[in-house]
Amino acid sequence: MTPTAFGVLLVVVSTVVEGFGQTFLKKSALDVSRRSYWIMLGVGVLIVEVVLYSGALRYLSVSTAFPITSLSFVMVTLLSKWLLGEHVMPLRWLGVALILIGSSLIVAHA
Amino acid sequence: MPSGVRVPLRLVIGLAVAIALDTGLQLVWKTGVAEIPDSLSVWETVVVVALNPIFLLVIVFMAAQLVNWLKVLDHADLSYAKPFTSLSYVTVCCLSVLLLGEHVAPMQIVGIVVVIAGVWCVSMTRPATLGSGAEPE
Repeated sequence: MTPTAFGVLLVVVSTVVEGFGQTFLKKSALDVSRRSYWIMLGVGVLIVEVVLYSGALRYLSVSTAFPITSLSFVMVTLLSKWLLGEHVMPLRWLGVALILIGSSLIVAHA
Repeated sequence: MPSGVRVPLRLVIGLAVAIALDTGLQLVWKTGVAEIPDSLSVWETVVVVALNPIFLLVIVFMAAQLVNWLKVLDHADLSYAKPFTSLSYVTVCCLSVLLLGEHVAPMQIVGIVVVIAGVWCVSMTRPATLGSGAEPE
């Protein structure tokens, strides 16, 4: 695996982690009685993301690494539907598809 | 499609602040990481990071970002608010070229435009509200 590919892999994994972190933070707004619990859980998960993304920046320029984090929109959409029960409409799925295409273009030219 | 949906001013301000903090964080973070020599061990890297004031600034940016983002999520659905942060792709791209001297390939710019188009589609969907923490439409 080339250093660039490893950097891209780290960013992709960090976006999966961020999806869960964001879901936990949103839960803190919905489940007010356990707000602190969800915030601590969300922050804990996001710290893992920080470590992964810091590693990625060793191998990639920020103008390459940062746009790839747009994959977190896919994770956020999926987890918002599965874990938060949000209604995801067709146009939103189209948006997710465009995000995937755009991210692929960025990765292919990294 | 919610054409004409009114967005509360505090939500607009919160999203604008989120974009500004995101941009600052990315640029400072990259500047700090770039200063770490490649030859260091993991432990030496931890020490260098702990002693570098730039990473203190990174933590300040992250803390401010967290506080602001929790306020935003108090007034909007996650899948509604998150797409707006894509505007930081544009600001980070422009400023990393201007301030850090990085190179951006033409196809990467096309990719960024496609990503933003996708996020725009997401943002045009109805911002369905959840629970008592969300702002009514």
